Amino acid sequence: MPETILETRDLRKAFGALLAVDGVSVQVQAGAIHSIIGPNGAGKTTFFNLLSGNIRPTSGQVLYKGRDITKLPLYRTAHIGMGRSFQITNLFPNLTAFENVRLACQAMGRNNFSFWQPARHFTRYTDRTVAILEQVGLAERAGQLAGTLPHGDQRKLELGIILGADPEVLLLDEPTAGMAAEQVPELMTLIQQIQQQGSKTVVLVEHNMNVVMSISDRITVMHQGQVLAEGTPAEIAANETVQSAYLGGLYELDQQDREPAA
Amino acid sequence: MNAQTTGRFAWKSHIGFIVTVVGLAALPFIMAVMEGLPVGSLLANDSSTAKFLQGLLVEVFILAVFAISYDLVLGVTGLLSFGHGMFFAFGSYLTGVLLKTFGWPLWAVLVGAVVAGLFNALLFAVVLPRVKGITFALVTLGIASVFDILIRTQELNPYTGSDVGLQGIPRPDFLNPVDDRLRFYYVTLAFAILVYLIYKRFVDSPTGRVCVATRENENRALTIGFNTFYFKLAALMVAGITASLAGMFNTLYKPLVSPEIAGLGFTVEGLLMLLIGGIGTLSGAMIGAAILRLMEYYLSRWFGESSAFILGAIYVLIVMFLPYGIVGTWRLRRLDIAAGRQRLLSMFTGRQRETPDEGKL
Repeated sequence: MPETILETRDLRKAFGALLAVDGVSVQVQAGAIHSIIGPNGAGKTTFFNLLSGNIRPTSGQVLYKGRDITKLPLYRTAHIGMGRSFQITNLFPNLTAFENVRLACQAMGRNNFSFWQPARHFTRYTDRTVAILEQVGLAERAGQLAGTLPHGDQRKLELGIILGADPEVLLLDEPTAGMAAEQVPELMTLIQQIQQQGSKTVVLVEHNMNVVMSISDRITVMHQGQVLAEGTPAEIAANETVQSAYLGGLYELDQQDREPAA
Repeated sequence: MNAQTTGRFAWKSHIGFIVTVVGLAALPFIMAVMEGLPVGSLLANDSSTAKFLQGLLVEVFILAVFAISYDLVLGVTGLLSFGHGMFFAFGSYLTGVLLKTFGWPLWAVLVGAVVAGLFNALLFAVVLPRVKGITFALVTLGIASVFDILIRTQELNPYTGSDVGLQGIPRPDFLNPVDDRLRFYYVTLAFAILVYLIYKRFVDSPTGRVCVATRENENRALTIGFNTFYFKLAALMVAGITASLAGMFNTLYKPLVSPEIAGLGFTVEGLLMLLIGGIGTLSGAMIGAAILRLMEYYLSRWFGESSAFILGAIYVLIVMFLPYGIVGTWRLRRLDIAAGRQRLLSMFTGRQRETPDEGKL
């Protein structure tokens, strides 16, 4: 029985009258790729923001290695070993790709308040940055401003920034969002590599069902803020409720239900 | 791009800075020669034209330090502070009061100004975690206004001189702009250069890089594990001390303090300097300060009352044609030229370039 690294207990988040996340309890096992899927508006991203501490839940708990991190300040989550990416690309646009990753490496070190030595002299961060850019395939773009990179490269850079902190758990919110279809497999292979090499845990929100089914160890299906089903890819594929949720029926109903509320 | 730390000093990349420093150091002598004065008269401190021009440049140096400290807060760290003039005014008033009322020696005044700068930074830091963006601008404006009202109150009249300001401040022997203007010129020049070098180092250091990251994307900086509050506080403290010291030199030079510098107008003037020179460029702030002060002086000399109109027109033209300020626009240009050269090179060497906008949303 593998150890549970990340767990939520009856997590709830309300935006006014809308319950975006309604009592979600999920257990993520260490070393697994755990995907969260669901139709638009199912509350996946909100659930993600609760996991990473970007927003506070209305009620419920988030536990990391058995420790309650629900009220942990956002900047602490990186230090306990959680790194997250964002669905909407979220970089330092006017800094170079190199500097984006270097900052992430520096964040975990003890030199944040060295205000006299130039940052480039701290070779333990710069060397690491070079290695990470190599790994995500951006070595040649290191000097380019992050905001001017092609979208696909920005997604890779997003991954590079997470690796800078060397996290144990990677929270990836639609890492392939907006990417050209032929680039998706490359990035997914990369994620798989990272996960296997460092025996890391990956929590993934993804729309691309082929990707999800092929790389996930476990899948949680969310619908209207609640967990609809959970299991291995094979179990999920065979689940009738899930089938209907994705094949029109429930999804249509979902849209109609929400209109008056919005 | 990688960390190449060659031991040799890169003269070429510092050429602009070196030329500026040498030029400013030699300027009093050049001016004396151009006016047809013997260099000896300069050292003897009896030429009024040369003395006046030195004085004008002293003002430029002091304003340049004020501008660069504002740039660290606003341009580098991205804190929208509208109370920055208070840092300067506080140092100015403190120096005046300490010299006039309490008769402190110069070194003690210096220490006092540094402590005052730290105090001001901590005052802003109290509201820092609670308000962001435009709200922070309004709150800092409010704090500065309270200071403005305080120094104008009748109750503090014996110390601050209320609406009249402080006058008749005794000049310390070592730094006396009347008896030895040339020395004052070099002390303020050295001060400005020192501040510039320290700021450059600060912005290049790990701490400074996080300040830049905070400006770029604070939420992301938090997510990768920086408690941005401390970095904003560090920037405020460094800027607070330098602005306070600039205020001290302002009092020593004039030597009077007018309550005008405590008003919003002075902060806006600092903002103009940044806009002219380029926000977030450091050197631009200092260049902007020089241009603003010299333009103000010469335009009013040449055009008299209509100078304000011409000054306004020039601001509009600068914002229209140099949207990132002089230094900012120049840097962007240089990047463009470098990119163009790269493209040209790749055309000749036949290396394939990826299309830049693939898959963009």
